[in-house]
Amino acid sequence: MVMSLLLALPGAVGLWLVTGGRGLPVRPARWVAAATAAATLVLAVVVVALGSSVDRPWLPELGMRWSFGLDGISVPLVLLTATIGLLVAAHAWAEMPTGGSPATFLGCLLLVEAGALATFAARDAVLFFVAFEVVLVPMWLLVGRYGDDHDPRARADAAHRFVLYTAVGSTTMLLGILLLLARAGTSDLRALADGAGGALGGGTQLAVAALLVLGLAVKVPVFPFHTWLPPAHTTAPTAGSVLLAAVLLKMGTYGLVRLPVATVPDGFTRLAPVLAVAGTVGIVWGALVCLVERDLKRLIAYSSVAHMGFVVLALASGSETGLQAALYANVAHGAVSALLFVVVGGLKQRWGSVDLTVPRPALRETSPRLGFVLLLGLAASLGLPGLAGFWGEFLAVYAAWDPAPERSRALFVACAVAAAVGAALAAAYALRVAGIVWAGDRPDPEVATTPDTSGVERVVLGVLAVAVVGLGVAPMVLLGTTADAVARIGGGP
Amino acid sequence: MSDLVTIDWPVLAPALAPAAGVVVVLVGDAALPRRGGGRWALPVAAVVLLLGALAAAAAAVGAGAQTLRTLCLPAPDGACLWTAGPRTSTLQAGILLAAAAALALLHDGRPRPRDRAVSATLLLAATTGGVAVAAASDLGSWLVALELATVPAVALVALRGSRAAAHGALTLLVTSLVSFALLVLGAALWLTATGDATFSADTVALAWADPQRRAVLVLAVTLLVAGLGFKLSLVPFHAWTPQAYATTDLGTAVFLAAASKLAAVAALLVPVAAIVGAGLDAPALVVLLGVPAVASLGLGTVVALRQTDPVRLLAWSTIAQAGWIVVPLTALDAPALRAAAAYALVYAAATTVAFAAVARTGARTLEDHRGLLRRDPLAGGALGLALLVLAGLPPGVVGLVVKVLALAPPVNAGVWPVVAAGVVAVVVGIAVYLRWFTVLLSGSGDRPAASPAGPVVSQRATRVVLVVGSAGLVLASALPTLLLDLLS
Repeated sequence: MVMSLLLALPGAVGLWLVTGGRGLPVRPARWVAAATAAATLVLAVVVVALGSSVDRPWLPELGMRWSFGLDGISVPLVLLTATIGLLVAAHAWAEMPTGGSPATFLGCLLLVEAGALATFAARDAVLFFVAFEVVLVPMWLLVGRYGDDHDPRARADAAHRFVLYTAVGSTTMLLGILLLLARAGTSDLRALADGAGGALGGGTQLAVAALLVLGLAVKVPVFPFHTWLPPAHTTAPTAGSVLLAAVLLKMGTYGLVRLPVATVPDGFTRLAPVLAVAGTVGIVWGALVCLVERDLKRLIAYSSVAHMGFVVLALASGSETGLQAALYANVAHGAVSALLFVVVGGLKQRWGSVDLTVPRPALRETSPRLGFVLLLGLAASLGLPGLAGFWGEFLAVYAAWDPAPERSRALFVACAVAAAVGAALAAAYALRVAGIVWAGDRPDPEVATTPDTSGVERVVLGVLAVAVVGLGVAPMVLLGTTADAVARIGGGP
Repeated sequence: MSDLVTIDWPVLAPALAPAAGVVVVLVGDAALPRRGGGRWALPVAAVVLLLGALAAAAAAVGAGAQTLRTLCLPAPDGACLWTAGPRTSTLQAGILLAAAAALALLHDGRPRPRDRAVSATLLLAATTGGVAVAAASDLGSWLVALELATVPAVALVALRGSRAAAHGALTLLVTSLVSFALLVLGAALWLTATGDATFSADTVALAWADPQRRAVLVLAVTLLVAGLGFKLSLVPFHAWTPQAYATTDLGTAVFLAAASKLAAVAALLVPVAAIVGAGLDAPALVVLLGVPAVASLGLGTVVALRQTDPVRLLAWSTIAQAGWIVVPLTALDAPALRAAAAYALVYAAATTVAFAAVARTGARTLEDHRGLLRRDPLAGGALGLALLVLAGLPPGVVGLVVKVLALAPPVNAGVWPVVAAGVVAVVVGIAVYLRWFTVLLSGSGDRPAASPAGPVVSQRATRVVLVVGSAGLVLASALPTLLLDLLS
């Protein structure tokens, strides 16, 4: 009951804001969206506390059930999504993009949240796919209509690229799901994880795993399927960027854990080396691009590619530590990237562009709070111990160093070394950004100073900063939540 | 007489209703030619169609999973000429409702008074044929019903009287004659191969077991698929579609795009069901169905991407969607039949709504729809929903569900080339429909000043079509199982 409400509330209010309530003025619309997002967060906490679930037939023809419920793997992501949902709704007080009615904008945010929650809670493979598709149109609207209003053509291009890439990925994933459904006879993710999928023959498992991994790799995104991400991030409004980085990318990695890793372990094992190499290339490539990239938003997007590389590498290693690392890095990246995108979005709003080649006064002097949060985000992003980013990267490299037995040790060790080099490069680009933006030029008394954070923006940044520090200081809270579920999936023998 | 053939009138009601409507309209027009300027003909036809749809829907719901049979011959094995399971009854209801929608658009298109009775008669006659072909299980009635479903439609296109319409009708006429020739030849070969004048799984299985008769049967199916390919607008038999849609009025276009397509699908399912029932392992037949399906998906979506006239875009989208309808059939198994029927029904509903929105706005180019959602929320919202259903994107969940259903059988049977074409078509299709959707959403600030000022005449019937059609799509999106239950 509470589970259904958790999904229905943001979905229904979001739909209403997009359709019937489109003409709502900005003030009431903001309150409606924020109240809905807050209620959703409360419901999410209640669902997690009570362990509520729902399970009824939906499409009996496909053997498909309307089945939603949480376990250790989905709990952190559902809480992350609900929190981020509230933060982006609140952020509407700090930044309300032009391009359409404010109610539609807020409705789209809520719809993305509803779709993401449904994706993380789905216990049926086909339902997972349907929920996965729900976020497409609202996100397309957020990027295509409410995005950067400097260049309409680039905006349309970025939005279309996002939709079409994701559609390629999700349709490929659908084929994998349908093949799995046809061969295993059930689409219940729990039954599939408990052996219905693992009992399939080697060839079938490989085919299913290949389709699923290929499809989800677009969403994650894994190198070389990442080219949709930087334009989408550069164009999207701050709230859209935050949702994209902190929630949508997680759907890809969560899907990798839920579908190929849990249901067709043997097939995934055979693909793991390819995935590990792709992830490692993503780490190094992303970091190298960040060293020369001029647009700060695009730079953060490329750093996301690198961070997702760590997640994928950890998943590919196949050990229980690897799975834990992947899930941890996933959530940590959600907090860190949300923080960075709020800061950078705020800077873009203040400066008009975030081109790093334009000399600007030092942020630490003109707006010390904003400067401090940026520095914190960059430090977490480069993996400074004590902050959120550290444990994910550290455990990922550790897991790759010692992969599950049936994987090629030499290859994974090579990947671990390359990933460590990538982490060092991350330090270099983080310091480059800090040097340009935070340390910056001497303030020119004739140039207007950058206003510091205030009001809601300060609260949003404060919550995210606390999360980044909290995850870094007390990783066991999160690792303990996922441990049982990870042990059940098995993570290798 | 009754000893020879048993007749169960209520079972025949879906076809009898429009047939009776033809008689009523013709007699009424002959007896009282000037009465009300022929204004009564279209409403009478609409009532008759809705009654027929009601009868078909009642048959689909009430009969449970059993098959209704009538017109049964006593000897020797008691073959029945009319066989309607739930799937057939639901398709019949769809044909009748689509015809009623076409009638509504015809009505609002202000036909000349003298054309009204003729239009109503032609439309009802074609609908009778479409309903009958869905339930026909012998070659003779199948061919006759199929032709009855086609020829009046040609006359409807020609009725507009303009030079372009006459040209379109001529193309359509030549096309349908060729297709009829192919179908007759195919039916004759089917009879030769199976030695049976009905579409029956048993005789198909027997014929398949004999290599020589198998070759004849493959040839028969080739010709039948080609003949129906014309009606279904499958590539390479599609060329008439954009021309006929663009030259005729929107009511007739809806009839061709929805009712006529549903009739063609129902007709195709009759022989395919016999082949599926025989449980053949027949790669040759898979190729026969797969090649036009892949070609339609590819060409239809790619050409639709370049269209600027909404009617032509819908025409090319029809061609692509016809490919989608055939995609599940390449698996030659029982779920495929339901998937094809479900896809056809959802496509027909969405296309009808899209045409109704185009009729309401009178748009000639996509740009005329700029900011439509703000100017006319009913037309804009309905059109947006229809486009999302056609693209298969939530919130048009039902469009996504039928795409999943359509892809499941070929994945299961391992027909990978068709599946791969399906994936490409999904992605390009999304680009096609989102292109139009973007225009609907965009601000109306830079709207061209010369765009039509919106409806001047009353368009009540079109509004009803829009409301009912989008309500159906919303309902089916919320509870897709409602639709699928009707087809099981």
